[in-house]
Amino acid sequence: MDDYLVSVLSNIGVISFVALSAYLLLLTGEISFGQQAFFAIGAYAAGMATAMWGWPLALGIAWGAAVGAACAVSLGIPTLRLRGLQFSIATLAFAEMVRILFELFRYQVDIDGEPVGPNGTDGFRSIRYIFDHNIETFDFMMLIYTMLAVTLAGFMLLERSRLGVIFRMIGEDATLASLQGIAVARYKVLAAGIAGALAAVGGGLYAHLTTYVEPRTFDVMLGVHSLAYGLIGGLGTALGPLLGVVIDVGLLESVRLFAGYRMIIFGGLVALLLIFRPRGLLDERLVNRIGRLFRNAISGSTRTGRGSR
Amino acid sequence: MIDFIQNTIDGVMIGSSYGLLALGFTVIFGVMRRLNLSYGPTVMIGAYFGTVLYLDFGAGLLAVAAAVVAGAVISGVYVERLCFAPMKAGAGIASMVSSFAIWMQLEQAAVLVLPRHTYPFPPLATGPALEIGPLLVRPDHLIMLGGALLLAAVVQLALYHTRFGLGLRAVIANPIAANLVGVDVGRLVMLAFAAASAIGGVAGFLVLAVDQQVTPMFGMWATLKGLIAMMIGGLGSIPGALLGGLLLGVVEVHSHWLFGPQVRDLFAYFVLFAFLVARPGGLLGRTADVELSHRV
Repeated sequence: MDDYLVSVLSNIGVISFVALSAYLLLLTGEISFGQQAFFAIGAYAAGMATAMWGWPLALGIAWGAAVGAACAVSLGIPTLRLRGLQFSIATLAFAEMVRILFELFRYQVDIDGEPVGPNGTDGFRSIRYIFDHNIETFDFMMLIYTMLAVTLAGFMLLERSRLGVIFRMIGEDATLASLQGIAVARYKVLAAGIAGALAAVGGGLYAHLTTYVEPRTFDVMLGVHSLAYGLIGGLGTALGPLLGVVIDVGLLESVRLFAGYRMIIFGGLVALLLIFRPRGLLDERLVNRIGRLFRNAISGSTRTGRGSR
Repeated sequence: MIDFIQNTIDGVMIGSSYGLLALGFTVIFGVMRRLNLSYGPTVMIGAYFGTVLYLDFGAGLLAVAAAVVAGAVISGVYVERLCFAPMKAGAGIASMVSSFAIWMQLEQAAVLVLPRHTYPFPPLATGPALEIGPLLVRPDHLIMLGGALLLAAVVQLALYHTRFGLGLRAVIANPIAANLVGVDVGRLVMLAFAAASAIGGVAGFLVLAVDQQVTPMFGMWATLKGLIAMMIGGLGSIPGALLGGLLLGVVEVHSHWLFGPQVRDLFAYFVLFAFLVARPGGLLGRTADVELSHRV
């Protein structure tokens, strides 16, 4: 596989985690402009763990996820009673505060005569774990996709579980959900925590993929993009946000033909798409229809098997 | 003490531009109950119109101002037709994401026309700062503050003392009922959008003429500052928008003077966050009824 393709695919995989994070909150009816904050927190926490404290990669990423989840829960509690735009802007304010705090954050240790660690606006260089351990970029890409596959499997299970129904129910009508005896606040904080952990896992992988993170990467643009991916790809299934990332990062950013005009084409296409499909390409109706088709095909074949036709 | 007063004055002056930006935002949000992320970039398109006229044709200050407003109105109506008019009720988030996509489009279009990072913009007023005792006030700042107060008054009057304003308030209160009593909702909303873009255009012109430079970051800057000022002031309140802008300006100038530019931005976002958590309705708004919240 050529290096460029590997790097594009790795990027798609990593960004998908933030897109899925925003998507999970969308299911519960919250529009977050701030999931990039947890991506950043995960990137810094995991990077510090492996590059400065010498932890193994798996532990570093798990630690990043834990810190991300903890921060997301502590953001989720004070913003619980905010609705709609107020919630969105509160998450935006939080994410920008996190970004600026990373711009001010300096903490370095000496490793082999070289200072390593976050260094304010200059960012955090030499997160060299995959080089020091001779991990091929292809293998790291496979790691990203394995984790993404596990996450997607988790989403598929969620959609079939009581928890998934509760999430979507809160998203439809939180008041009605609470009248049905659902502890809305608890589930919202739970969703925020899981979403934070997801974005942080993506961040941890990103830090090790690029070996270098800087606060500027985690600005509002990343947050709004990851939100938009879910809407472009569709809100009916967790594959929707993935499709959104593939369309944007994969097709447009990577095809050199569009250079300079990418956003003019992409922006116009997205606007037109949303007129005709306001809930994205893979919206709930399409997903249900496909699901029914499958079920019919299966029950059809069993019927044939029994010879009842 | 003198420093404190001087900083507060500067903050009010700078805050008036935020208030102006928030004013346009508030009109759009009040009417649509939807967030227009493209608001700043439409103003930026106007600003680039004006800059092209200034650079290539040596246009005067008034012509540049007219071009900025016209450019903002044209691109504002484009955004309304594409991102807001065709969306059904309940598709608030689709409108918002769509306006974000158009933001990207407008920004790239602007950069294609003027690719450098900064361009000069004609100054509003040259000449020394006015001295009032030990305090200094820049004349262009005074014009900006005057413009903000005047426009806020005009918007408030138009909203509460004209037939157009009555129609708008009817749409804000209940679009279906407004339609039933004969208000042409679609046309009125488009006009309101155009008016809000014009306000944004005036705000953008004043800000750029004070800074005397244009950069491609202006679109994002205008959207963020307008949004923050609007949220602090209170959703849907005209005086609130202005007051929110002034408060944001004062907080920024003081924290900049005390701690530098990074902490200034940190403070601004902190004030916003604290307001949202402690008082979601902002300074003067109601705890709002926001369409975005319903059926994402």
